[in-house]
Amino acid sequence: MTKIADNVNPHVYEKGSERKTTSAELDEELTDEFDEREIFDLIRNINDPEHPLTLEELRVIEEKNIVVNNKENTVVVNFTPTIPHCSMATLIGLSIRVQLLRALPSRFKVTVVVSEGTHVSEHAVNKQLADKERVAAALENNNLVQIINQCVANV
Amino acid sequence: MDSIWFKPELADEIIKSNDIFEETHSIVADMISGHIDITHLVENMAGVLTNIEAENREKGMRFFTKLLKELPMDYLSEAQIKFIAKFYTDRLKDNHRIIPSVLEGYLVIIEMKHYNMNNTGEFLTMLFREVPCQSQVRQDRFNIYLIIQKLMEKDLDYMKVLGPDFVYGIISAMDGERDPRNLMFLFTFLPYFLKHVPLGHLVEEMFDVISCYYPIDFYPSPDDPAAVTRQDLASALAPCLCAVPEFAEHCLILLVEKLDSSLRLAKIDSLKLLAESCKTFKAESYGPFLKTLWSSINREISHKTDDELKMAAHEALSALVANLATTTNTDQAFENFTKGILISMQTAVAEATTVAHFVQATKVLLTVANASKESCIIITKSMIPATVAYYGFKTSSKLQIASLDFLGDLYGLAKHWQILEELHIQISEIPQLCLTAVSQQSKDYQIAGFKNLIIVKNVLPSDLVLPFVEILIYNIQHSQDNDLLGVSVETIHAIARKYPELIMNIVVKGKCDLNNLTQDKTALQKRLNLLSNLASIDDFTKVIIEEMLKIINANDVEASKVVEALNECISNNSLYSDKKVNQIESDHGLVDSILVWILKEIEGPLESLIHGFTLISNTICSLPSEKQLIILTKHAPDIIERCKEREVYYLVLECLYTPINQDIYNSKFEDIIRLSLNLSLHSDNELVRTRSCVLIAHFLNKAEYGQKFELLYELLKSYLTTCSRDDMELCPRLIILYGWVTKSLIMRGSDLFLFWLQKIMVTMSSPVYCKESSKAIQLIMTDHTEYLNQKYHCRTSLLYKQRMFQSFSTLTEKLGTLNESTKEHYLLSWAYVLEKVPKSVLNNEATRIVPIVIDSLEYDNKDLLIVMIDVLCHIVLGKHYLVADSLQTILPRLVNLSKYVKSMDVRIKSLQCLYDIANSYRTMLLLPHKQDILLDLAPSLDDKKRLVRNMAVRARTRWFLIGAPGEMKED
Repeated sequence: MTKIADNVNPHVYEKGSERKTTSAELDEELTDEFDEREIFDLIRNINDPEHPLTLEELRVIEEKNIVVNNKENTVVVNFTPTIPHCSMATLIGLSIRVQLLRALPSRFKVTVVVSEGTHVSEHAVNKQLADKERVAAALENNNLVQIINQCVANV
Repeated sequence: MDSIWFKPELADEIIKSNDIFEETHSIVADMISGHIDITHLVENMAGVLTNIEAENREKGMRFFTKLLKELPMDYLSEAQIKFIAKFYTDRLKDNHRIIPSVLEGYLVIIEMKHYNMNNTGEFLTMLFREVPCQSQVRQDRFNIYLIIQKLMEKDLDYMKVLGPDFVYGIISAMDGERDPRNLMFLFTFLPYFLKHVPLGHLVEEMFDVISCYYPIDFYPSPDDPAAVTRQDLASALAPCLCAVPEFAEHCLILLVEKLDSSLRLAKIDSLKLLAESCKTFKAESYGPFLKTLWSSINREISHKTDDELKMAAHEALSALVANLATTTNTDQAFENFTKGILISMQTAVAEATTVAHFVQATKVLLTVANASKESCIIITKSMIPATVAYYGFKTSSKLQIASLDFLGDLYGLAKHWQILEELHIQISEIPQLCLTAVSQQSKDYQIAGFKNLIIVKNVLPSDLVLPFVEILIYNIQHSQDNDLLGVSVETIHAIARKYPELIMNIVVKGKCDLNNLTQDKTALQKRLNLLSNLASIDDFTKVIIEEMLKIINANDVEASKVVEALNECISNNSLYSDKKVNQIESDHGLVDSILVWILKEIEGPLESLIHGFTLISNTICSLPSEKQLIILTKHAPDIIERCKEREVYYLVLECLYTPINQDIYNSKFEDIIRLSLNLSLHSDNELVRTRSCVLIAHFLNKAEYGQKFELLYELLKSYLTTCSRDDMELCPRLIILYGWVTKSLIMRGSDLFLFWLQKIMVTMSSPVYCKESSKAIQLIMTDHTEYLNQKYHCRTSLLYKQRMFQSFSTLTEKLGTLNESTKEHYLLSWAYVLEKVPKSVLNNEATRIVPIVIDSLEYDNKDLLIVMIDVLCHIVLGKHYLVADSLQTILPRLVNLSKYVKSMDVRIKSLQCLYDIANSYRTMLLLPHKQDILLDLAPSLDDKKRLVRNMAVRARTRWFLIGAPGEMKED
C-alpha cells in the first residue's frame, strides 16, 4: 500500500526554542495558570501523519492561534493545514483533540477548528471535530487509534 | 602383571569396553617412561584400527586420537609423525563415522613440534576430495577451518605454494556455511588468508562465496546464552569483502546496489563497508562509481530523523575523500568529486531556510574538509568568502549566528591542516565580520561573535583591537548576563595574549584605570574580575598584582572586593597554574599581605574574611613543601597564641594548615590537634566546630602511616576517652566528629574507619541521636569542594564510596528493630549513601536496595523521598524484576506521592518514575494497572505548578499507550 502524500514537499519552518523555566515556576507557593504556550507545548510535537516532521515544523500549529480562558475553562485551537485540499486535515485535528483530551484536566472544554479560509472543506472538518459522538466512534476504530497513537507517541 | 596395552588384546579391549578410554593417561605415562614404544602400541591396536566393522574402527580412531591428545607435544619424532599423518590422511577415505576423530586427531598432529609441513599437501588434497565439508556437523566443520588456519599460521610460504587447488578447496569447503559461530570464525580468518594467499583466477568465485552473506540478515535465538549478534557478524564481514584490491570492482558494484536498497540495515552496512574499503582499495577503482556513490551518500546524509544512518554516511564520505585525495596530483577525479560536493552543498546552504538545513549542509562540507588537506584547501578557499557574503544577505538571526559558527569551524580545520598561510586573504575577513556581529545589541550575536573571535584571534589585525575592546569593556561594566560576562572576559584574555602592549595601554591603564582603581565605584567588582583574570598572563602579572596588593595593604574599604576577585581567579586552575601561583607568591608575598589584612580585619564581617581564608589556602596548596614550611614557621606560633584567647583566630590557623602537602609534619601538630579536638567539642561557634573537625580530618588523612599517624591517632583516642558520655550537649558533636574521622580514614583507604563507623551506627537506634548519626553519614558521603579534596593534597582512594556502601550495608544488617522515628532517620542515612554511590553499584545490589526504597516511599520526608524515587527510577530503567514483582505496592505509593503537597520535586519525580515504569516493563505486567493509573493521574494534570503538569502529561499520555494499538515497544 504505497500512497503518495498529498503534499510531497512541504515547507519546513524553524523549530522554536524550549520554554525556559522561570523562577516563578520553581516557587512552591505560586500558582501557574494555564497559558497559550503550555497548550502549544502539549501539541507542538505531534507528528504529521505523512512526514517525519512535527506539526510545529510545518506550522500547522502556532502559538498565536491558540486561545485559553482559565476563568471560563475553555481552550480553542486553530490549526492550519499545509495545503487547502489536505485530506489529512481531519486526522490531524483528531490527533490534536485526542492529545488534549488526554493531557488537559477535564474542566476544560476543548474546541479544535481549522483556521478560517485555509481548507476547502473547512466546515465539514470543523463539524466532524466538534461532534463528540463521531470522535468517540473514531476512537473505537483500531486502525485509526493506531495512527493517532503513532502521531502522539513522541509528545 | 603387565597392563593390557602391552598385549595385542588391547584391540579387543577397546572394542569391548569403554573403560579403557579412562586409562589413556597411564598408557601415556608408560610411553614417556619408555616402557612401551608407539610402534608397539599401534601394533597392539591393529585389530581395532583395521576391523571390518566401521563402528569398531571408529572406536579405535577415537582411542588413538585421545592418546595423541595426551602425549606431550614434543614426544613424537618427525618420522613417527610422518607415519601417523599418512595413516590419518588415508583414513579420510574411510567411513563417514570415522571422519570426526580423524579431523580431531589431525588437529593435534599439526600442533606437534616435529610436524613436517610436507605432510600437509597430501592431507589437504585428500580432505577436499573426500570430505564434503558442509555435510559434516558444526563442530567438524569448525575443525576443518581450524586445521586450515593452524597450518597457515605454521608455514605460510608452504601454503602459498599449494596454489589454486588449495584456494578452490577452501572456497568449496566454506560455500554455504550457515552457523553463526563458524561464520564468525571464518570472517575473522579470511582477511588474513586473502591478504597472504594469491587468489589467481578464483577472485570472482571467492568474492561470490563471501558476498552471498551481505548484507547480514540474522537474528540470534532468544535462548542463546552467548549469542552472536547481527552486529558482530556484520562488522566481521566488512573487512572480508574488501580485504584485497582485486575485490574492488565486485565489491563496489555490490555496494552501490545495496546503498539503494530500501532496507535500513543494508544501507548502514554498505556505508560502513565503503568506509572500510577505503583502507585497501585504490583510488582509481572508485572512479566509475563516484557519481552514484555521492548521490547515495547525499541522500542518506539529508535523512531527517535517522542519526545512525547519517553518522555512517558522514564516515563513509570522509573515508572516501581521504582515499581519493592521495591521487590529487595525478588524477582529476578527486578535484571533480570535491567540487561536485561543494557545488551541491553551496546550493543547499543558499536555499536553507532553517538552521537545521544550514547545519546539515555545512556539516557535509566540514566532513569533506576534515578528511584531507587537499579537500580542505578547496572547501575553505571557496566557503570562507561565500559564508562571509552569506552573512551579509541573510537576515534571519539564527542563520547568521550559525554561519559565524561555521566560519569558526572552517578556520579550525584550516589550522588543523596548516594551510592558514595559503588562505590568509580569505581568513582576514573573519575578524571584521565578528566585529559586525558583536556590534549588534543582541546577546546571542555578541556571544557568537566573541567566541568566533577567540578562535581566530591569531589573525586579528591590530587596528580592530580598539573597537572590540570598547564593546568588551562596556559589556564587562554593564552587562547583567553571566554568559556574556564570562565570554567577554575570556575574549579580552585572548586578545591580551596576542597584543599585550595594546591591552596594557587601552585596558589596564586606560579603561580600567589601574592607578585609580577605587576612584570609580561603579562596576568595580567586574573590573576587578577582569584584571585578576588578565593578571594570569605574564606581561600583566607584575603590574596588576602589585596594584592590588597595594590596595589590600592600605586596607582600603574596597580591599575585600579585591580579595574576592583574586580568590575567584586563582582558584581556577586552568588560568593560574601551580607554577604561576608559586611565582606570584615569591615575587609579591601574597600570603603575607593577605594575612596581615585578615588580622587587621578580624573583627569585620565574616563573609569577606572567608574569601581571604580560601585565597590563602588556594595559594598555599600550589606551593612546594619548603615554601609551605617557611610560611608555617613564620606565622603559625603567633596565631596559635592568639587562638587561646579568641576562637576566631582558629579559622586563620585552619586555612594555613588544611592545604599543606602530605610530607609536612612538625612538632606543632600535636598542639594543634589537641586544640582542634577541644574546639570541635566545646566551641559554641558552629563554623569553628566544623572547621576544627575538618582540620583533624585533614591531619588524619595526610599523615604518613607509621609513627606520625600512630601518634595523631593515639592523641585522638586518648582525648576522646576523657570525654564524658553523659553530657547531653556533647554527644551530637561527638557523633559529627566521628563522621569526619570516618571520612578521613575511609578516604585514605584505612581499615580503621570501621571502628568509627560502628560507633555511629550504634547511635542510629537511639531516638535522641539518630538524627545526628544520619547527618554524620551524610557528611561522609558528600564531596566537599572546599576541603578533603585532591587539590589540598588529601589522599583519596578509588572506590571509597563503594566501600562505604558495602560496610554500611553490612552494619545495617546487625541493627536491631527500629521504631518509627528512628526508622525514618535510618532510611534517610540509606538515602544519603545511595545518593552518592555510583549508579553501577545499585544495579548489582538491587535486591538489597529495592525493599528499602519501597519502604521509604511511605515516609513524609522530602529529602528522603527525592533520593529514593531517583534510585527507584534508576532501578526501573535497569528493568529489574523485583520492581516488576512489587508493582502492586509501588504504583499506589507513587500515585500518592504525585499529590505530595510539600514539594513539587517529589511530585515531579514520582510522575517521572511512573513514566519510566510504563516505558520499561512489559505490557502484560502493566495492563492490569492501566485504568487505575489513568484515573489517578488525572488530578495531577491540574496541578498548580506547570512543571508538575508537564511531567503528569508525559506520564499519563504514556500510560494511555500501554497495550493500545500503535504502541512502539519491543517485547
